[in-house]
Amino acid sequence: MSLQLLNPKAESLRRDAALKVNVTSAEGLQSVLETNLGPKGTLKMLVDGAGNIKLTKDGKVLLTEMQIQSPTAVLIARAAAAQDEITGDGTTTVVCLVGELLRQAYRYIQEGVHPRIITDGFEIARKEALERLNAFQMRDVELDREFLLQVARSSLATKVNAELTEVLAPIVTDAVLNVQNTETGSLDLHMVEIMQMQHLSPKDTTFVKGLVLDHGGRHPDMPTQVKDAYVLILNVSLEYEKTEVNSGFFYSSADQRDKLAASERKFVDEKLKKIIDLKNEVCGMDQDRGFVIVNQKGIDPMSLDILAKHNILALRRAKRRNMERLQLVTGGEAQNSVEDLSPAILGYSGLIYQQTIGEEKFTYVTENRDPKSCTILIKGSTHYALQQTKDAVRDGLRAVANVLKDKAVIPGAGSFFIDVANHLSKANMNKLGAKGKTKTGVEAFAEAMLVVPKTLVKNSGFDPLDVLAMCQDELDDMEPAAEDGEAAPRRYVGVDLNIGDSCDPTIEGIWDSYRVVRNAINGATGIASNLLLCDELLRAGRSTLKEGQ
Amino acid sequence: MSLKLPQAPGAGLFKQGYSSYSNADGQINKSIAAIREIHQMCLTSMGPCGRNKIIVNHLGRTIVTNDAATMLRELEIVHPAVKVLVMATEQQKIDVGDGTNFVMVLAGELLNVAEKLVALGLSPVEIIQGYNMARNYTLAELDQLVVDEIADKNDREQLAKVTRAVIASKQYGNEDLLSRLVSEAVAHVLPKGTASGAFNVDSIRVVKIMGGALSNSTVIKGMVFNREPEGHVKALEAGKKHKVAVFACPLDIAATETKGTVLLHNAQEMLDFSKGEEKQIDAMMKEIADMGVECVVAGAGVGELALHYLNRYGVLVLKVPSKFELRRICRVCGATPMARLGAPTPEEVGMVDVVKTMEIGGDRVTVFKQEEDEVSRTATIILRGATQNHLDDIERAIDDGVSAIKGLMKPDGGKLLPGAGATEIELVSRITKFGEKTPGLLQLAIKQFALAFEIVPRTLAETSGQDVNEVLPNLYAAHSDETGEGLYKGVDIDGESADGITDIRQEGIYDMLEMKKFAVNVATDAACTVLSVDQIIMAKKAGGPAAPQARKPGNWDHDD
Repeated sequence: MSLQLLNPKAESLRRDAALKVNVTSAEGLQSVLETNLGPKGTLKMLVDGAGNIKLTKDGKVLLTEMQIQSPTAVLIARAAAAQDEITGDGTTTVVCLVGELLRQAYRYIQEGVHPRIITDGFEIARKEALERLNAFQMRDVELDREFLLQVARSSLATKVNAELTEVLAPIVTDAVLNVQNTETGSLDLHMVEIMQMQHLSPKDTTFVKGLVLDHGGRHPDMPTQVKDAYVLILNVSLEYEKTEVNSGFFYSSADQRDKLAASERKFVDEKLKKIIDLKNEVCGMDQDRGFVIVNQKGIDPMSLDILAKHNILALRRAKRRNMERLQLVTGGEAQNSVEDLSPAILGYSGLIYQQTIGEEKFTYVTENRDPKSCTILIKGSTHYALQQTKDAVRDGLRAVANVLKDKAVIPGAGSFFIDVANHLSKANMNKLGAKGKTKTGVEAFAEAMLVVPKTLVKNSGFDPLDVLAMCQDELDDMEPAAEDGEAAPRRYVGVDLNIGDSCDPTIEGIWDSYRVVRNAINGATGIASNLLLCDELLRAGRSTLKEGQ
Repeated sequence: MSLKLPQAPGAGLFKQGYSSYSNADGQINKSIAAIREIHQMCLTSMGPCGRNKIIVNHLGRTIVTNDAATMLRELEIVHPAVKVLVMATEQQKIDVGDGTNFVMVLAGELLNVAEKLVALGLSPVEIIQGYNMARNYTLAELDQLVVDEIADKNDREQLAKVTRAVIASKQYGNEDLLSRLVSEAVAHVLPKGTASGAFNVDSIRVVKIMGGALSNSTVIKGMVFNREPEGHVKALEAGKKHKVAVFACPLDIAATETKGTVLLHNAQEMLDFSKGEEKQIDAMMKEIADMGVECVVAGAGVGELALHYLNRYGVLVLKVPSKFELRRICRVCGATPMARLGAPTPEEVGMVDVVKTMEIGGDRVTVFKQEEDEVSRTATIILRGATQNHLDDIERAIDDGVSAIKGLMKPDGGKLLPGAGATEIELVSRITKFGEKTPGLLQLAIKQFALAFEIVPRTLAETSGQDVNEVLPNLYAAHSDETGEGLYKGVDIDGESADGITDIRQEGIYDMLEMKKFAVNVATDAACTVLSVDQIIMAKKAGGPAAPQARKPGNWDHDD
C-alpha cells in the first residue's frame, strides 16, 4: 500500500496474519492451563514480584495472578473470569475449549472455508449441544447429604490432593447445608465464614458450627472462656473521638486541667455505664452467666480495663462482614448506639473461648441455638498451603451450592463431552440446518468437545486416543438398545483416570454442575466465534515520549 | 508495520519480565539441584559434631551458628522451590521448636532420591503416592519404636533426659551444664502436682550478660531486667514482702487527648500553676505510697516530678519499656497493670520478696525474685559468656531445650525414641520391608523413601570423623539383632568404641516422638509439594524499596 493511513507508530495485522495470531495465542494459553485440568492435573508454582509463592491448580487463580499481555489471551482470560464469577468453576475448561475450537476451525480455514461459515456451524452445534445437555442432565436424583458429598468430592478432587479432598468434602457439604434456608430454599454462601489459621496442616481443617473471629480480648484480665454467654453486638466507638474541627483547651491551673481530662473520659464512661447496667440487669448476681461484647469499632485501654473489672469479654474492631454473621449465629441484634439497649437485643452463645497460636488470638463463638451461619477454619503450615486450601474450599462451596440451586447434575468424568461429540458427529446435519460447508463448523465443534476428556486422560499419563476410543466403542455398543426400547436406560460413559479405561461416572460418583458446563459451552463458543471473525488487529501507536519503547 | 508473531506458544503471552520453567525443560531437576546445594550446607551442621557457619546478613550482622532455622532465615532465599523447604523448617520451628535441621535434611534427601526415581521414568505423581504411603507407615511405625516414657514430668533428672540430647546437638560439650540450667528453671516454673498442660515457653527468660564464663551462669526465680531502677532507691529491704504497683500509663501529670494550652494572665498565675502541678503529683504519689506500695513499675515514661516524690517516699521506681516484659512482671508479682494513675486497690497490688540491684560483669541489673516456688511463674537464666555471638548461640540452644520441654508437657509428649540415629536405621529396614510387600511401581518410591532416612546416621558418623562405610554396616548388623537389643544401638560420636556403635541407654540420648513425627510429616509434605509442581511462573522482581520482609510482630490489633 503506498498510502500510509495509520499513524506510523501504530501496528496492524490483517486477515490471515490476524487470524493466525489469535489462534496461536489461544493455543498458547491452552497449553499453559491444560496441564491443570482434572484430578490428576499438576500444580503450578507462581512467584510474584515480591518473591511470594503461590501454588495453584485453579485456572482462575492462575489467570488473575498473572499479568497477561497478548490481547487475544486477555480476551479469553476475561471469558474464563466471567465463568468463574457466574459458576465458580470450569475456568480451565473454558480456556481449553476456546483453544481447541480455534485449532479445529483453523484446519478448515486453511482448506479455504470462510470463518463466517464455520461460526455459523458453531452456532448450530452449540444449540444442539445445549439441547443434548438438557436431555443429559439428571433431575430425579435425591439431593441428600450423601449425594452432595459426591458432588463436593468431584469438585475438590480437581483442586487438591486426594487425602485433603476426603477431609474437605464433608466440611463444605455441611457448611452449605448449614446456611441453606430449609423453608425458602435460598442460599447465601456469604454466610459461610472462611477463616485461616497458620497452624498444623491443611488436613486439620475443621468445620465450626458457629463463628471464629481472628482476634481476642485485648486485656490480660478478661476471661478467656465464657459459658452461657449473652452476646452484645455493637457498632459503637468506645474510645475518645477527636472533634472534626480544630479544637483546644485553655486552662490556667493543674486542677482545671484535671477536670478537662476527666470530662474527656466522661463521654465514653457514660456509654460504658449503660453497657454495664445492661450486664447487671441480665446477669444479676448469677455468676454462671457470662457477658461478651463484640464491637466493630475500637475500645480504648481504659474502657477495656473497666470492662475487664466487670468480668466482660470484649472484642474490638470486629470485621464488618462478621457483624452480620454474628447476628445469624447468636440471634442477637447489632446496635449502633447504646441508647436503646435491652435484654431483647442480646444474642446467646453456649461457649465462647479463646485460642492463642503464637501471637495470633482466635475467639470461637460456639454452641449456639440454631446458628444460621458457620465457619470453615482452614489450617495450614504455610501461607501457600492456606491459600490453596482456601481457593479449593471456595470452589467446593460453589459446586455444592450450584447443584442445590440447579436441582440437577450431570455425570462427570468427561462423559457429557464424549456423548455430545458422538451425538453431533452422527447427527443428521440437514435436520439441524447445517447444509453445505456449514457442516465443517459442526464437525470442528464436535471434535473440539473431545478436548476435555482427552486432556483429562493425558494428564493422568495414559494415551488419550486409546482411552477415548474405548469410551466411544462402549457408547456405540449400547446405541441400538436405546433405540428400540424406550425403557432402556441411558448409559453414561466417562474416562477412568486411575486405570486408563472407561467408567460409568454415575456409579463412581463423579458429578459436574449443570450450570458450569452450560456456561462453559456458551462462553467458549461465543469467544471462539468472535476471535474467528476478527480479520484485523490494530494497536494504537504508543504516545509515550520515550523512544524505543 | 506489523505485530510480531508470537513464536512458541506461550511466548509473549505474559507481560514482559515473566519467566516460566516447566517440567518439559527439566524444571524438577533444576529445583532439586538448587535444593541440594542448601541441603549440603545444612548437612555439615547437623548433630553434635556439626560445624558452625558464619553468616553475614544483609544488615552486616555476623551470626555464628549451627542452627538450621537461624541459618535459613538469615540467608533470605529466593529460589521458590528451596523456599518451600525453608517454610517447612520454619513451621517445625514454630510448632515444635526443635528438629529444624532434621526437616531440612530429610526433605532434601527425599528429593535427592526422588531425582533418581524421575530418571528411572517414574512420574512425580507416582512418587508422591509412594511417599505418602511410606509416610503413613512411618508414622505408625514410630509409635512402635518408643523405648522410654517420662512418667514424672516434674522430676528434674527426667527433664534433663529430654533436654540433654536437644542441647547437645547445638552446644556439644556444654549439654550437661545447660540442660541442668534449663531443668532447674523449668522446675521453678512448673506448678507442682499437675501432670501436664500449664507450661508456657514465655515463662523462661534468658538474660545474656557478657563476661565471665559459661559456668558462671545461674538461674533466678523471678525476673532480671537489664537496667537499673530510676532515682536513688536501688534496692528494697531484704527479708520481707514488698507491695508492687504496675502502671501501664505514664507516671506524669494527666494529659488531655485534645491539645491543651496554658492560659496565664500574670506572673503570679504562673507560679501558682507550677505549685499546683507539684501539689497534685505529690498528693497522687503519696496516695500510692500510703497504700504500702514500695515498688512501682512503669510501662511508659516516668515524669521527673513523679520520680522525685516517689523517691522521697522511699519507693523504688523501675521503667520497663516493653509491653510484654510488663505483662511478665505482672505475672511474677501477681499484680494488675493499671491504665490510670492513682492508688491501686488491694487486688491490683502485687507482692514480691526481693527487689535488688546487682552488678554482674559490667552491667547493673535489677532482680525481682520470689522465694517460694509456688508464687513465681517465671524463671530467668542468666547466661555468661565471652562474646555476644557465643551468647546468642547458647541462647538458641536453650530455646530449643525449652521448646522440647513444652512438647514434653503435651499429652503423649513424654514418649521417647532412641536417639543417635538408632531410630532412623531401624526405620530404613522397616520401611524397606514394607516397600517390598507393596506391588507395583510404588514399591520403588517407598524403598527410596526408606533410604532417605539413612542420611541421619550417615551424617552423624561423617561429622564426627569416622569412616561411614564402616560404621553404617556395623549399625545395620547391630539392628538386625534378634533379641530386640539392636534398637538401642546408635552412632558413637565420641569414637570411643571400636565399631563406632554405642548403646544409647548408657549415653542417655533420646529423641522425642512428637518432634520426629511432626518433622517427618512436614518434610514429606514439603518434598511432595516440590515434586507436584510442574511449572514455575515467576513475575519480574518488583522494583522500588524492598517490601517489608515480615509482618510487624504481634497482632494487627496492637495499640503500640
